[in-house]
Amino acid sequence: MKDNPVLEINEVTKLFGGLAALKDVSLSVYPGEIKAIIGPNGAGKTTLFDVLTGIYRPSSGSVFFRKKDIIGLRPDQITCMGIIRTFQTIRLFEGMTVLENTMVGCQCRTGSGFFANGIRSRKARNEEKQIQQEALEVLKSVGLETRAYETGTSLPYGQQRMLELTRALASRPEILLLDEPAAGLNPYETNELSQFLFGLRERGLTLLVVEHDMGLVMDISDEIVVLDYGEVIARGEPETVQNDPRVIEAYLGVEVEDNA
Amino acid sequence: MPGPTVSYRNLLVVAAFIFLLPIWARLVPGSALHFDIVNLMVLAGIYAFAVIGLNLLVGYAGQVSLGHAAFFGIGAYTTAILCTRFAWFPTWLGVLFGALLAGVAGLLIGIPVLRLKGNYLAIATLAFGEISYIFFRQSGITGGTVGITRIPPFSMFGFSFDSDLRFFFLVWICVMVLMLLTINIIQSRVGRALRALHSSEVAADAMGVNTGRYKTKAFVLSAVFAGLGGALFAHFQRYINPESFMLTISILFLTMVVIGGMGNIWGALVGAISLTFLPEVIRALPQWIPGLPEGLANFNNYVLVLYGLLLMVFMIFMPQGMTVGLARGVSYGEMQAKRLKDRIRARKFSRGE
Amino acid sequence: MNLNLKENTTERNRVLWGTVAFVALLIALTVSIKGSTGLQWILSGLTVGSIYSLVAIGFSIIYASTRVINFAQGEFSMLGGLLLYSLCTKAGLPVPVGFLLAVIIVTLIGAGFERTAIHHLRGQSVITMIIVTIGFSIFLRAIALWSWGSNPLPIASFSGDKSVRFLGASLVPQNLWVFGFTAVMVILVFLFFNRTLVGKGMRAAAANPDAASMVGVSTSMSSLIAWALAAAIGAAAGIIIAPITMPSYGIGTMLGLKGFTAAVLGGLGNAPGAVVGGLVLGVLEKVAGGALPQGYSGYTDALAFLILILVLLLRPQGLLGKPEGIKV
Repeated sequence: MKDNPVLEINEVTKLFGGLAALKDVSLSVYPGEIKAIIGPNGAGKTTLFDVLTGIYRPSSGSVFFRKKDIIGLRPDQITCMGIIRTFQTIRLFEGMTVLENTMVGCQCRTGSGFFANGIRSRKARNEEKQIQQEALEVLKSVGLETRAYETGTSLPYGQQRMLELTRALASRPEILLLDEPAAGLNPYETNELSQFLFGLRERGLTLLVVEHDMGLVMDISDEIVVLDYGEVIARGEPETVQNDPRVIEAYLGVEVEDNA
Repeated sequence: MPGPTVSYRNLLVVAAFIFLLPIWARLVPGSALHFDIVNLMVLAGIYAFAVIGLNLLVGYAGQVSLGHAAFFGIGAYTTAILCTRFAWFPTWLGVLFGALLAGVAGLLIGIPVLRLKGNYLAIATLAFGEISYIFFRQSGITGGTVGITRIPPFSMFGFSFDSDLRFFFLVWICVMVLMLLTINIIQSRVGRALRALHSSEVAADAMGVNTGRYKTKAFVLSAVFAGLGGALFAHFQRYINPESFMLTISILFLTMVVIGGMGNIWGALVGAISLTFLPEVIRALPQWIPGLPEGLANFNNYVLVLYGLLLMVFMIFMPQGMTVGLARGVSYGEMQAKRLKDRIRARKFSRGE
Repeated sequence: MNLNLKENTTERNRVLWGTVAFVALLIALTVSIKGSTGLQWILSGLTVGSIYSLVAIGFSIIYASTRVINFAQGEFSMLGGLLLYSLCTKAGLPVPVGFLLAVIIVTLIGAGFERTAIHHLRGQSVITMIIVTIGFSIFLRAIALWSWGSNPLPIASFSGDKSVRFLGASLVPQNLWVFGFTAVMVILVFLFFNRTLVGKGMRAAAANPDAASMVGVSTSMSSLIAWALAAAIGAAAGIIIAPITMPSYGIGTMLGLKGFTAAVLGGLGNAPGAVVGGLVLGVLEKVAGGALPQGYSGYTDALAFLILILVLLLRPQGLLGKPEGIKV
């Protein structure tokens, strides 16, 4: 098991002009793992996600997903391989219902295009039926099916976050990259999120989570990686990292143990 | 989720209404109106080709184009040149070639230009439109500033569409077919993908939508529709010159989309019909209302003034366009009516009835 | 997220000197091949280029402050010229008075539009802003057609028509007015945005509206001033060139489009860029127009649009602009 990482990040460096947003970052994520990435603001966490999902090309280094090189692939190609990512700020599709938002998640598995759908060919109709069914199932599994026909952006904040996750789940990910999933959630909601993420692991997913909420991080992580100024400064089990002096120094001035 | 059958019913109702139009248009004496309803409807229908495609591109996919008159023109000139140069060339084939060539142009221009966003995309398409216009005006093949005359009437299987009425049915049957195709597209995964990329390209990419390809395909489709309309335009008017494919026409198409209502495919028809009829209605007004002062009686003076004012006023007060604005107005009115009813009921209750 | 500022400035300088070198080379080639005719092309190119620069400055001021592309910028110049005709040629007012009055009137029109439409539509979608300024341009053009008719109106040159010989080419005094006025305008605009508090405040408001308002800079006032300035400069430009172009309701369109191309070429929102873009465009147009064989001279207009597309695709920030970052 230990030699079949889902995601292998090798010495990834990303330069913007003269500034190194990421410097020789290496980490591996193993199946069923919940790994957290923490670090002060500006440490490069979101940039790492951007590189992993094809938004940026790294200046050097490599990224392998199940032994396949994914550098240079388009974001939508990477998504369809099974790497799904959520965003720091909620990016639900405006003007679309909860159900429609989720149905977009099923894009990868269907292929009928403009012509087939224009004339409503059998393939197109079948795919549409399939998409609707799958999307409803996913919504049911998280309890959002009662709000399926409401506009996505009219939901309360906590449920919008859940919808974003649900939409990601509809894409049938192997590994989920979650960018601050607890942002803006109250302690009760955060706790629910923890339980939800454990549930995802039980379903066979692997999680790579960027978070500031230390309570959540300590709760769910198998391993924590700490970034500062684009470099990995520490990694290990939660308790070890918590007491690492370099980590404490990087966070100087910010509470490490309570909710951030 | 409301299934497609609802929109199909609407489409049938609208189609029936429009196809019966020549009949009830005859009921109004032509001399009273001072304009020809059927003739104007043909033009509105021809414009609708371009507007439906543009509505899909701008309203659903969120990509602005200020150069669609170019595609309209490419369709028109292609069929005009083929059918006048080669007397044997079948007109329906000319129209097909026109639409195809417009589509190819859309592909060639779309691929590089769609990488741009917002204002920059608008400007790039505007530049393309102007370059095309200059080419139409300068080139020998297109007849230069004079254009091309004596374009044969459209005919298929020996049946010649050489009257307004015949063209009316030809055009509007085609418009209904286009509407059907577009409605199907919008209500499918393709439509959702377009709306998603309109809302957030990054998030759409992250959800597996190949945004580049979808944008290009929508652009090409809108170019093909516009080319189709242009080709029919050539066979309707029987002559074309570059003035029909200027920036003002690109702006007119975009205006029809915006004022008709974006994000709602019916907006395309509403916009095309209303903005084709409006100038004629205004022009006819002085003849309906006797005794208007001299300056106002000569319509040509102020039609453009009103057009400019209309655009500004609409953007300030109803930027979402008529279909969306009216729909909201209706639901607002319903809400107010309900409130009033509740208030009356409450008062009755408190008076102990 | 390009934080290396030093690299930015050296790159921009390189582009600037590269452009200067290219234009110098072009001029040298033209003059050596075509002699004094070539020089004539260059001079008329610089004249028309100065006009483009002035229109471009107007675009840039508004874009820099409000991220709006003002499709009616050319119409400000058109109105300036037409008003000058009415005030001076018809009503007989002396030129400086007519100049001032015309500029004030157009400035009020521009400011009025800003307060009614632009201010109201802050933050609306790109397409709403595009349509509203297009509507404004159509409106102004139609009013002009209604009020002044369709014929181009002759206006007397400010200092007579005696042409001056310059190295084999000839210049009329009005050309010198155009050059002089452009130079003065460029300096004034530069000083305004870099040395006055109001100007610097406007730049701040454009760069970061929230931070600016926290230190007391009003984005609303910034927008109003930008529109008023752009209207004034546009009107003044239209007046200066009126004797050369013979104003009519339609000149605003091409002027606007070319001026806009110049602005994009130099870098939207960048005043020195507007000047560089305008001059380069003007010279390229006139040289190409002269060099092309007889039947193809109509294509010179297409040159501007081709340049526009190429700039947008290859270097959207223009010659002197800074790349607008991508935010994810």
